[in-house]
Amino acid sequence: MRLLIISCLLLVTFASCTFRTVKGFTKISSGKKVYSSPYFSSAVTDYVYKANITVYGKSLSGLFIAKQINDSTHRVVFTTEFGNSLMDLEIGPESFKVNSIVEDLDKKIILKTLKNDFRLILANKHFIRNEYENGQEKIYQSKDGSRFNFLFADKKTEQLHKIVRASRFKEKVIVNFTSTNGQLAETIYVKHKNIKLEIALNYLKN
Amino acid sequence: MKIRLLLIGILFCMHSWPAFAQEQKMTAAEMESFKQKVNGVSKKISTLSTDFVQFKHLDFLSKDIESSGKMFFKQPNLLNWKYTKPYNYSIIFKNSKIYINNEGNKSAVDVGNNKMFEKINKLIVGSVSGDMFDEKEFTISYFKSKEGSMTRLLPKDATLKKYIKQIELIFDNTENTVKQVKLIESSNDFTKIIFRNKIVNAKIDDAAFNH
Repeated sequence: MRLLIISCLLLVTFASCTFRTVKGFTKISSGKKVYSSPYFSSAVTDYVYKANITVYGKSLSGLFIAKQINDSTHRVVFTTEFGNSLMDLEIGPESFKVNSIVEDLDKKIILKTLKNDFRLILANKHFIRNEYENGQEKIYQSKDGSRFNFLFADKKTEQLHKIVRASRFKEKVIVNFTSTNGQLAETIYVKHKNIKLEIALNYLKN
Repeated sequence: MKIRLLLIGILFCMHSWPAFAQEQKMTAAEMESFKQKVNGVSKKISTLSTDFVQFKHLDFLSKDIESSGKMFFKQPNLLNWKYTKPYNYSIIFKNSKIYINNEGNKSAVDVGNNKMFEKINKLIVGSVSGDMFDEKEFTISYFKSKEGSMTRLLPKDATLKKYIKQIELIFDNTENTVKQVKLIESSNDFTKIIFRNKIVNAKIDDAAFNH
């Protein structure tokens, strides 16, 4: 009996639980199925960024180089300023391949974190589960494993400027994009809320 | 079938022929004379400053990534490698320490007696001055071409080998100094650095190596 009451209470709590991220927004239903992010979607563009990674006070800098190599997969290479590769990865929505990595970075936790972060930045297609809006913005919610991604776009232009990755209760990662033409992100800033990790990417005109 | 094989054979020969024509192995006498000339020049270098342009080649990119800057070197072990385009980043080797200035964010690493650091330092200085004929560290082969003389160095050290498969230095035929360095990684992607406006033994103030 007690179990039943607890179960019912939990069910009510879950059902009424709204995500903190969408507080102040109204749920809508436009029927849109997919949101496409343009920032890494060109197969002919070499995306080259100066990268600064800060992890627990320590910093690592270099170049973040990405290119879409087929419909859904991106090749990502991280090099030092001198040009030597620190890691070379292939990242798709479901796939992940390490072509090469230096010993110091070849740790499960590092690879898992970077894989998730890079996937979040690079993904072209997001399958929408819910939509929200307020006066200026729209939020597209998609599911990503056990997490949810909330994509913040301008209501009129649909331009993506923020992604929040969250569990049902907590925001985990926030990504901010700035773009003047809506096609290419000049700056990308990733901030983790549960670990002290920040990644700042600044586009380099080649 | 035979004709097809013959055609493939001819095509293959034609393809490899230009490379053979471009670079020819030096004879033992040529090698000795070349080494003497380069060692003579590099021994006389007390300071060196040069502009450089760097091309990072990755096979999957449509264009090489270009960056450029200045390099200052002063005997015995002061080195400032400074990128000014498309970002400001400098790395200074000084008194067993590495000082990094990344867009104004300064940091220092004490490398003490780190053997790897010594090797990297030697590699950079050697790449610029030409003092790279260390048979203990590298398997070296010597070539000549219209462009200049070339040395191909294969690292022997296991750690270095992981990062660099091969180093190619191209020397200016008149000055006998390095005009181009190519660092080839195991993936065959490479970094090519071309030196321009090289000035040897002009006075360089110590302030050029301040963090």
